[in-house]
Amino acid sequence: MAGEKTFYQEYEVFSKRTQNSAFQHQFSLLAPNEDMALIMAQENFMRREPVADIWIVNRRDVRKMDREEKKTLARLDNKEYRLTKGYGYLKKKWRHYEQQVLDEKEILSWGGDRK
Amino acid sequence: MTPIHTVTDDELLANFMERIEAGEKIEADDWMPEEYRVTLIKLISMHGISEIMGALPEKEWVPRAPSLSRKLGIMSKVQDEMGHGQLLLRVTEDLLLPYGKNRGDLMQDLFKGDLKFHNVFHMETKTWADAGIIGWLVDGAAIITQTNMLKASYGPYARALQRICAEEVFHAQHGESIIMALAEGTDEQKAMIQEALNRWWESLLMFFGPASKETTGSSKQDLTIKYKIRTKTNEDFRQIFFDKYIPRILALGLTIPDPTIRFDEESRLWTYQQPDWEEFKKIIKNKGPRSQARLNLRKTSYEYNAWVRDALSATVT
Repeated sequence: MAGEKTFYQEYEVFSKRTQNSAFQHQFSLLAPNEDMALIMAQENFMRREPVADIWIVNRRDVRKMDREEKKTLARLDNKEYRLTKGYGYLKKKWRHYEQQVLDEKEILSWGGDRK
Repeated sequence: MTPIHTVTDDELLANFMERIEAGEKIEADDWMPEEYRVTLIKLISMHGISEIMGALPEKEWVPRAPSLSRKLGIMSKVQDEMGHGQLLLRVTEDLLLPYGKNRGDLMQDLFKGDLKFHNVFHMETKTWADAGIIGWLVDGAAIITQTNMLKASYGPYARALQRICAEEVFHAQHGESIIMALAEGTDEQKAMIQEALNRWWESLLMFFGPASKETTGSSKQDLTIKYKIRTKTNEDFRQIFFDKYIPRILALGLTIPDPTIRFDEESRLWTYQQPDWEEFKKIIKNKGPRSQARLNLRKTSYEYNAWVRDALSATVT
């Protein structure tokens, strides 16, 4: 078994469904090298779903967070100034000036045709 | 940071159980009690190897499938099962890390008889209807147990099951399609399904395992429930299986090969003839009708393909 202890390497597989979608982690697999990992990724995880691109990453190159580090990710619930939630009062203000608030839906629609 | 307090195992365990109770997911690198790790390894390695061993009785039907489209259908199912095996072995390997064991060791455990494969895959398939019954009812049974673990406390297993269950839906319908064609076919074809159902009925009951550990002396079900890997008992699963499939079996004009089976309105439970649990005990010791033949097939293939592993390992720099 000694030879096999070093034979396989662990690869993490990422893929995206369409050209516009973001890469998403799929799963991990064992392969002897990158090229095999890429083939295995397709065979293992993309037998049906549409796929536009695949990345494989050797697990040893992934910097992971440990349990202690993950604790630092918890957010304090005092960041309203960063969120539209903190500016919700504007809707009422604008109504006073007989104008509609330019909310997220409205602003993100500006890339489209002029209405 | 200076540690002002050394965390004891009891505290780690309490914290671990709190996380599980809160519905948090445990990941491969997280601290976990030995009992949890061992329970997961036993469960998932057996599940993984069973996917691979389960592909063997099905692959026997690839050359014998009655049409090209049936051949393609069953071939893709066999490929899925091998894929599921890959996923689950991967999950097991990460759990085995502290013990320095890997996939090759799991394969040896299988050959030695230390790692069991699911009791349903020790049985013989005789006709094309058996392939249909496997797809329809064995996969149906598997879906009942697997969907119950979609929210398992162990994250990697839950995520593997998400992928697996999505494909199982195809498998179930693939089996239904084979059965439906036979059920709407000639009298001979109808008789074929009835015979296959008679042959597989006891195996379908055994599929979920005995109701309590009294039957075989041990059972994983208490531990898997304690650690929120699953929520239902073997008997719960069997009852769900009856609920879902008995009406469908009867609707196709088939007879359940158990004249005593009935639904008790008061308890809302099915009463039925128990399978031969002595036979079950033999099967899980690899003494079932096809246990040795399937193990030999796996072993031969593993040995025959050793040159591929040797060739690929030689390229590692």
